[in-house]
Amino acid sequence: MFGDEGAARSIDQMASTSPRGTVEADVADGAGVTDAPRTFTEAIRGRDDDELLTLLRARPDLATPSPSTLRSLAARASSRTALERALAHADARTLQALEAVVALAGEVPVTPGEVRRAVGADDVAADLGPAPDGPEDAGSVVERALADALAAALLWDAGEPGRPDLRPAPGLDDVLGPHPAGLGPARPAERRTWSPSDAGKTTKDSARADQLLPEDLPRGGREVLDALAWGPPIGLVPAPGTPAREAVDALVDARLLLRTDGRHVTLPRDVGLALRGGRTHRSPELAPPRPDGRTVPQVVVDAEAASAALELVRRVDLLVAAWDDAAPAVLRSGGLGVRDLRRTAQALGTDEVDAAFVVELAAAAGVVADDGEAPPSYRPTTVADQWEGMDDAERWALLAAAWAGSRRTPWLVGSRDEKGNLRAPLSGDLHRGWVPRLRRQVLEVLAAQQGTALDSGAVMTVLRWHAPRTVPPEQAVAGLLAEAALLGATGAGALSGPGAAIREGADRAALVGALRATLPPEVDEVLLQGDLTGIVPGRPSQALAMLLERSADVESRGAATTVRFSPASVTRALDHGTAADELLDALAHRSRVPVPQPLEYLVRDTARRHESLRVGSAGSYVRAADPTVLAGLAADPRLAHLGLVRLAPTVLAAAVPAVELHDALRARGLLSALEGPDGRVLSARLRRPPRPDRTAREARRGPAAEPETTSDDARAHLVARLRAADSGDDTAVDRLAGAHRAAGAPNGTNGSRPPGAPNGSRSAAPGRVRTTEPGDALATLHDALRDGRLVWIEMVGASGTLERRALKPLRLDGGRLRALDPAREAELTVAVHRIAAVEPADG
Amino acid sequence: MTDGPLIVQSDKSVLLEVDHPRADDARRAIAPFAELERAPEHVHTYRLTSLGLWNARAAGHDAEQVVNTLIEYSRYPVPHALLIDVAETMGRYGRLTLATHPTHGLVLESTDRAVLAEVLKSKRTAGLVGDRVDEQTVVVHPSERGHLKQVLVKLGWPAEDLAGYVDGEKHEIALASPTHPRTPTEVPKEWEMRPYQAQAVDGFWHGGSGVVVLPCGAGKTIVGAGAMAKSGTTTLILVTNTVSARQWRDELVRRTTLTEDEIGEYSGSRKEIKPVTIATYQVLTTKRKGVYSHLELLDARDWGLVLYDEVHLLPAPIFRMTADLQARRRLGLTATLVREDGREDEVFSLIGPKRYDAPWKDIEAQGYIAPADCVEVRLTLPEHERMVYATAEPEDKYRLAACAPGKNRVVEQIVAQHPDDQVLVIGQYLDQLEELSAHLDAPLITGATTVRERQRLFEAFRSGEISRLVVSKVANFSIDLPEASVAIQVSGSFGSRQEEAQRLGRVMRPKADGRTAHFYAVVARDTVDQDFAAHRQRFLAEQGYAYRIVDAEDLEAPDAAR
Repeated sequence: MFGDEGAARSIDQMASTSPRGTVEADVADGAGVTDAPRTFTEAIRGRDDDELLTLLRARPDLATPSPSTLRSLAARASSRTALERALAHADARTLQALEAVVALAGEVPVTPGEVRRAVGADDVAADLGPAPDGPEDAGSVVERALADALAAALLWDAGEPGRPDLRPAPGLDDVLGPHPAGLGPARPAERRTWSPSDAGKTTKDSARADQLLPEDLPRGGREVLDALAWGPPIGLVPAPGTPAREAVDALVDARLLLRTDGRHVTLPRDVGLALRGGRTHRSPELAPPRPDGRTVPQVVVDAEAASAALELVRRVDLLVAAWDDAAPAVLRSGGLGVRDLRRTAQALGTDEVDAAFVVELAAAAGVVADDGEAPPSYRPTTVADQWEGMDDAERWALLAAAWAGSRRTPWLVGSRDEKGNLRAPLSGDLHRGWVPRLRRQVLEVLAAQQGTALDSGAVMTVLRWHAPRTVPPEQAVAGLLAEAALLGATGAGALSGPGAAIREGADRAALVGALRATLPPEVDEVLLQGDLTGIVPGRPSQALAMLLERSADVESRGAATTVRFSPASVTRALDHGTAADELLDALAHRSRVPVPQPLEYLVRDTARRHESLRVGSAGSYVRAADPTVLAGLAADPRLAHLGLVRLAPTVLAAAVPAVELHDALRARGLLSALEGPDGRVLSARLRRPPRPDRTAREARRGPAAEPETTSDDARAHLVARLRAADSGDDTAVDRLAGAHRAAGAPNGTNGSRPPGAPNGSRSAAPGRVRTTEPGDALATLHDALRDGRLVWIEMVGASGTLERRALKPLRLDGGRLRALDPAREAELTVAVHRIAAVEPADG
Repeated sequence: MTDGPLIVQSDKSVLLEVDHPRADDARRAIAPFAELERAPEHVHTYRLTSLGLWNARAAGHDAEQVVNTLIEYSRYPVPHALLIDVAETMGRYGRLTLATHPTHGLVLESTDRAVLAEVLKSKRTAGLVGDRVDEQTVVVHPSERGHLKQVLVKLGWPAEDLAGYVDGEKHEIALASPTHPRTPTEVPKEWEMRPYQAQAVDGFWHGGSGVVVLPCGAGKTIVGAGAMAKSGTTTLILVTNTVSARQWRDELVRRTTLTEDEIGEYSGSRKEIKPVTIATYQVLTTKRKGVYSHLELLDARDWGLVLYDEVHLLPAPIFRMTADLQARRRLGLTATLVREDGREDEVFSLIGPKRYDAPWKDIEAQGYIAPADCVEVRLTLPEHERMVYATAEPEDKYRLAACAPGKNRVVEQIVAQHPDDQVLVIGQYLDQLEELSAHLDAPLITGATTVRERQRLFEAFRSGEISRLVVSKVANFSIDLPEASVAIQVSGSFGSRQEEAQRLGRVMRPKADGRTAHFYAVVARDTVDQDFAAHRQRFLAEQGYAYRIVDAEDLEAPDAAR
């Protein structure tokens, strides 16, 4: 499909509006005797501004860099690269329509009706299901595809108003391959056995084929023809002496087959079409396929999605905790090392594939980042600080928003690149520009079949229809589906409510809302049991989750949460500064039943033991054999700054370093001595290094997203400039270009003409100019090629001197021009980049 | 979404809220396929395992039923992957069947050729199967029937055994009521099978072979007798030890038409082979010069039924022998399918699927076993003992803690609080038990006590002649002490779950006057003893028994340990 629906117009409209008024060049060429355009270039030049805008919108690549004239725009539109690019995004139905046009284009005017019949749309049941603008029949689907192709200049209309005659853009047949729709080569009209215009005359396909075929078809001949009928049209010649060989020979004699070389025969296009009953395609692919999948109730989908979402949020939580404890180093080549990934996967309680996704997603959301230190390591950022203050839905929305725009391919982690190096998570290796587009497409496919679980194979089937010439790698599709499942964008394989929100490009607030809608209600109650377990019969509220996380170990998660209290877990709660009574109160407060005696006993018993060993920090200590020496030191106001604490009758701890303590004691007249390092207690408190502020770094680096390079505004400027150039108004060109530059829009023409290049021919009448503009030069060459006319070519010789010769172009392909020099009666091949200028040699 | 009593977790655990109005319905509905993992007071945890699902399949439940049950009673949407997994797992059972072919004898059949191919390709089945009969059938040598079933379970494709059983030698057995008195003082009384026992017998008989799970004291012997009566054939009964063997004999003579002459004992001391023979695991697994010398017993008669008591204790060699007994009907009796060695799958493949199961609490609620009060008494060790403990070698620590002298006084206190009860003191270490026996002036039974003396003491205890008895771990299995209402455990073997079940079983028998049974565990504080006690505590709490912890010092208070 080509861009927006605005491009879709009915054929009649196109046909009546496109050959708008004649252009000066046509008159000068003596070609513009009728209203109908004679060439593709003329058709382009005949477009009005709106149509040009539509073209540029449908094929944005034509506008960058900006072409200087409409002629070079036409040349660019028919260049191989541009056509390939346009077809890459064409869906199966458009390709079928284009193939049909290419196959049928000849003397007979190709009308939309012809194409409809050829692709078989007329034989399809009318209803194709919901189309964007209501139900439509098969025929109008084809017509819409043709209108889109016309708007995108993949086709042009050589007919007069009201009598359309569709032609493929020059070069389209090359791009579509030697056998469009599996049909063989066309042959000159006089040698044909059948013409497409016969199509409507007979009603029955078989009757049509029988009419064409001679009565005395050799035995086995029909089988040979049938085998080649639907392509590929090339067959191997059977061994001599066999009945099959006789049949083939007879068919060649009857001119129903062509001998291409000693070993092959080809089914000519007209015969093929006849055998196909005038059809170009056996089965029209007018609507995207709807692959089968398990039907899953939306309730189940959303429940699964919600639990996946909560699980993901929890994993990112674990990741932050794990990387706070031990920040993994950044590999010298960038990314996270294999061992660190394995360790992280262990911390997250998952495998390395899922862990890579979590790590990538956390990084995309800015929760963790390269801290930029030397040596660098990955650490939680200030975003992680905000994260701690968010609830589950907000956290998820942060991740989901990051996912929606991510260009990362975590599923490639563990595979090897061209050099055989392992691809590491967070490395630049995983960046792919096409990921967001494919993600959008995958979500679209899922959305089109809401409530159906589709696997990667099924999604591929649909994507293959949407762009048969650029099928995405199945690994990427499977990877994206796996990501969607982990994120909760899908549940049980079908698109979930939150997933639909991501598809619609919802903002963070909307994403929060979408997830909240699917989350089960919060439960603020825990059932405490005598076997030291507790069960939250639903999703725990944040406060309850925090309490249980601190004081118990989770045994099972899901719709309900089962926790177990153990001495270790209660110790953890006590470590967080919760007193035994406080903890019991908090539990009793949230429990329907009294705290069971064994649990109460456990908490009290653990608390009793918890305080029996005390640990503190000190900077240095003083010890003495005689307690009296130390007496009074701790209470001495002159030594208050030392922070002396009496730990035992013979030991004092001080807050200051040993040297300072030593000096202070000396100053007070005590003969102290510094002790060696043996048994010295140092502060065990580890300080966490400051977390890097990612937003600040981002601001320094500038926004990550590329600015939009093309806008409708810029396109309109371009169209105006092209129009001006076409009418030869040099000053207008300069004025517009100036205005364009002033407007700050990118300008591609600047570098295309070297300063000081000859420009004298500019003032000559356009159309017969000596052109040095590469686009125009190519267009002129194409025209000459088509018409078989001579052109003057200035080319740079081997010695670097300009050489001017009159040549007849024979073939322009792959950056080389093959041409005939009539003066020297020789063929020569010139690299296109050596051609400095081309001028039509009229005479 | 319903407001059901179940919550199904994606890790395959199923939580049942007990206080929910539909809890009982849900419990009954999921019992066939979910294993009860723990049953504390508010929320019971069940688990879905492959074996459990196959058990259900063997009992005639299909995946759709299971899935519908889960969905019907679940409060939240059931995880989709789990439902798919359930269907897949259950679909695996019965894809392969063992059957008797009219011409080829025992064959393995499959309706799914791919499965058969997969199974036959495995190295593990090499040598167990013979020639291919056709694409879906392969010959199995009759002697490999058990091994093949074992392997197939391990491969995840359990076979349904439809090959049938040999009839065995006929021997008329019927249940007798009133009972035949075994002692001159005993009075004959009318009795009949309790409903759940009858259900268990039926469940087993219809299934062919399998395991009946009943709590201690729920009358497993009677289920065995019922199965024998139904079978009406010669029967081989395998039990854990000699005492247990004698009890089986007494109970069979008392409740069936069998006379003492028809029942043989095959043990270390006697080697009788009669129409009904009771053998101990030990004698069967005794090796002489590297070979099992008593294997001929298994073929001594044409047994029509083989009965395994305490399946969860079945030693590995017995499994191997059982593999050769697949043509005979097999009934396993046990209180729990949980095996400390994790060989539940062998029980499943060799003896058969679970045919009947009743949760302890349910049976207790029906009044057949006594409610119990479990108390852990924590004893603070005196200073010098703690020093000794702290510096002891790790391997000595448990013994030191378990045998803390302070425990003697605690036991005395507890015994003093139960002047009218039959009290059993159970321990692991003989020194400690001897000391206790002297302290309490109570007889002691250890492994060294002769069977005759043991039986005399048990009888005396049973009749109330003596009210205090100190026993070592020999008393763990299959002794019947109907009137013990207080059990005090002073040391155990590292907190094994089975042991706990057995010990609790000692006091779980119905009390004549319906009073509460008491189970005390005396534990030294802050030692490994306490850590092991934590396992026991967890087990008991998971079984749904009220569990309290008291400090030894608080025992003095008159109402602390009612």
